[in-house]
Amino acid sequence: MSYLEDSSKNGDPVRPGEQWFFYWKTSAALWESRILQFQPHEVVFIPLYWGFHAESATEWDFGRIQPERDILRLTQLLTHHGRKFCWILPLTPAPFLPNGGVPVPAARVMSVNTEGVHLAVLDQEQKLNKMYSFFEPKVFQSFASFVKAFGSFLASSKIKASVWGAQFSYYQDGKNISFMEDRSLAFEQGFSRYLKKNNPNGNDLTETKREAQLKETFTEEVLSLFKTTAEAGLAPFWGGVQKIVALGAGPKETIERSFDGGKSQLEYTKDLFNHYVNHQWITSALLTQKEKKDSLERILGEHFGSREIAERYNYESYGAELTEEFRPFGVISLFGGRVSEQFQRLGLTAFLDKHFRWLYQRHEELEFTPEWIDVHHDKIKFFHGRDLDRTKFGQILKLFLMGQRILLDLEGLHPDLDKRLQIFLLENNLKMQSVNYLTTTNIVELGEGRFITFEGEKLLSEPQKEKFWQHIFRYLNLVQPELQMDDDVFSLWRIRGTTPHELSYLDVRRVNFYNPTSYKKIISIKTHKHFAFMRMIDPIKAQAKSTPDGVDVELLPNGKIALDFGHYEEA
Amino acid sequence: MLNLIYHFQTSQNQDEEFKPASYHVVYFFDDQGFIDRSMLQELSKSVPNADHQALTFLNLDDLKDFALRVSQELNAPDVQLISVQDYNIGLDGAKDLASFQSIFQKYGEKIINEAAQKKKGLFGKLFS
Repeated sequence: MSYLEDSSKNGDPVRPGEQWFFYWKTSAALWESRILQFQPHEVVFIPLYWGFHAESATEWDFGRIQPERDILRLTQLLTHHGRKFCWILPLTPAPFLPNGGVPVPAARVMSVNTEGVHLAVLDQEQKLNKMYSFFEPKVFQSFASFVKAFGSFLASSKIKASVWGAQFSYYQDGKNISFMEDRSLAFEQGFSRYLKKNNPNGNDLTETKREAQLKETFTEEVLSLFKTTAEAGLAPFWGGVQKIVALGAGPKETIERSFDGGKSQLEYTKDLFNHYVNHQWITSALLTQKEKKDSLERILGEHFGSREIAERYNYESYGAELTEEFRPFGVISLFGGRVSEQFQRLGLTAFLDKHFRWLYQRHEELEFTPEWIDVHHDKIKFFHGRDLDRTKFGQILKLFLMGQRILLDLEGLHPDLDKRLQIFLLENNLKMQSVNYLTTTNIVELGEGRFITFEGEKLLSEPQKEKFWQHIFRYLNLVQPELQMDDDVFSLWRIRGTTPHELSYLDVRRVNFYNPTSYKKIISIKTHKHFAFMRMIDPIKAQAKSTPDGVDVELLPNGKIALDFGHYEEA
Repeated sequence: MLNLIYHFQTSQNQDEEFKPASYHVVYFFDDQGFIDRSMLQELSKSVPNADHQALTFLNLDDLKDFALRVSQELNAPDVQLISVQDYNIGLDGAKDLASFQSIFQKYGEKIINEAAQKKKGLFGKLFS
């Protein structure tokens, strides 16, 4: 069974995608047959509709009263059939749940976005789920009570499956917005109490910016309160927190999805690729069968499928060495820099979008685990000095010593860290080469490792900053086929090791192309004497032909194709 | 069908500056999608004393003039205006797609674009 084969049937409200199982949407008598519809290798994710288990604000039923709440029986069925499973506990309003998951007695005030609009989301069955404020004190009381009861239930039932906390957000106007972001009366009252508590002598909020910052801090603190409560109450089972972007969940998307034409495949695809680049996990649970079709269905199955799910939830890891299994391929990682948008301001993301589109990813944090370090060894890593503390800086230096390529914008770097860098260079007897072109750049080499620092501040106002990046990437010598195609054609690369029959190649790279538009598209791939076209795979409404420079592809509307290239060293 | 959701903001002191009451465009869309913001900003210039960048108008009549101007530009027969407050009331009562779609009919204030109505041929009038 290939991991790329997605077993979930689109349009199934009980199994709405990403291996989720909505137990409350079907009769308990049908659970067994529905569970068997998952592929045996797939981990089953069970989102907890905590409001569904409420008998009162503080009394919870796990099957004593209603069979559809009997999650012990559900786990017994899963175990009986040898299925791996885990729980997903919403730590914010959950767009796929009625009331956002909040029990009816606590659902008092609807969440409101910054434009004053109540948050309501159309689900897969075209029902309107209204989101209720998590700033209402009764919601927290109820949540804490549920966590305690659920923890006791898990312990007494000896269920060992892990519980993941989930923080949901939607994507609108180029931004990810948490479902915790709220401007309801409940939020304003909570904020007022927060201000009084932290500033008993009064707070002068005449400055709009200051007020916005404080509201953000307050929101973060409440978000953290829900997280720590869940973490403490479910400690033996706690798997961690996943941030999940719900496709189709924004207020504008609710309006758009209500039109006859709905939100277009192209717009969903753009969102999905944006989430990929930003390393954000998604759920397609809200999308209808009509919405989740053609290109979108293929992209979800091929790049957000069970293998990626297993990786994301730490059930499996690709490992350091390339194997014969294809894995996602990228060449660059950007860390932090989001708040200040430093990488955009430096012109770096614009450069990457032009030359390494969808071959880079942005991460909030450096995940400094042995598995992560191994899997991402070859990626060039960018950091912004302002984001670094002593620990992170030490980790970056270790990555360099391991032979990795690091680029650091010195803007905002703490003087102590700068001093530490100088000591590190002296201690290791490392020579620094300086280059002055548009800004000051220092290069340190150690075996395969490169440590490049530059003064980003000087680049900010530099009109020719693109030239700086051209020089940097020429020095880094990244070898990659060149793609010439429209902005509305989407591609993702994968890589694998060679088989015994392919010894002449260093590795094999597969590029998947998708055309979610209603127009024919032409793509030209230039291999630049480093790649040999091997084969095309699963063309749908597409054809490819070899040219002296590489390959030309014709993609009809909703067409897709994958091409394999053998990577070799130039003789 | 064109729809405009607007937000009424009472007068306030912001950053030590007095801001008069205003009507702010939140969402402007038809059944094909959201109207391009730069186009809306350009068309808002037909209304004096408005904040064209932020799409904010000093009174409801100005907002209606702007909405009508957009409907004329897009040759739409009418445009429905609904305040965020009314939209929220509609959302509170809606349960599914059908009831969500009816919010605009139920709570919106329709402004007719006479010019587009006149342009309708015999068949258009018969089937409208």
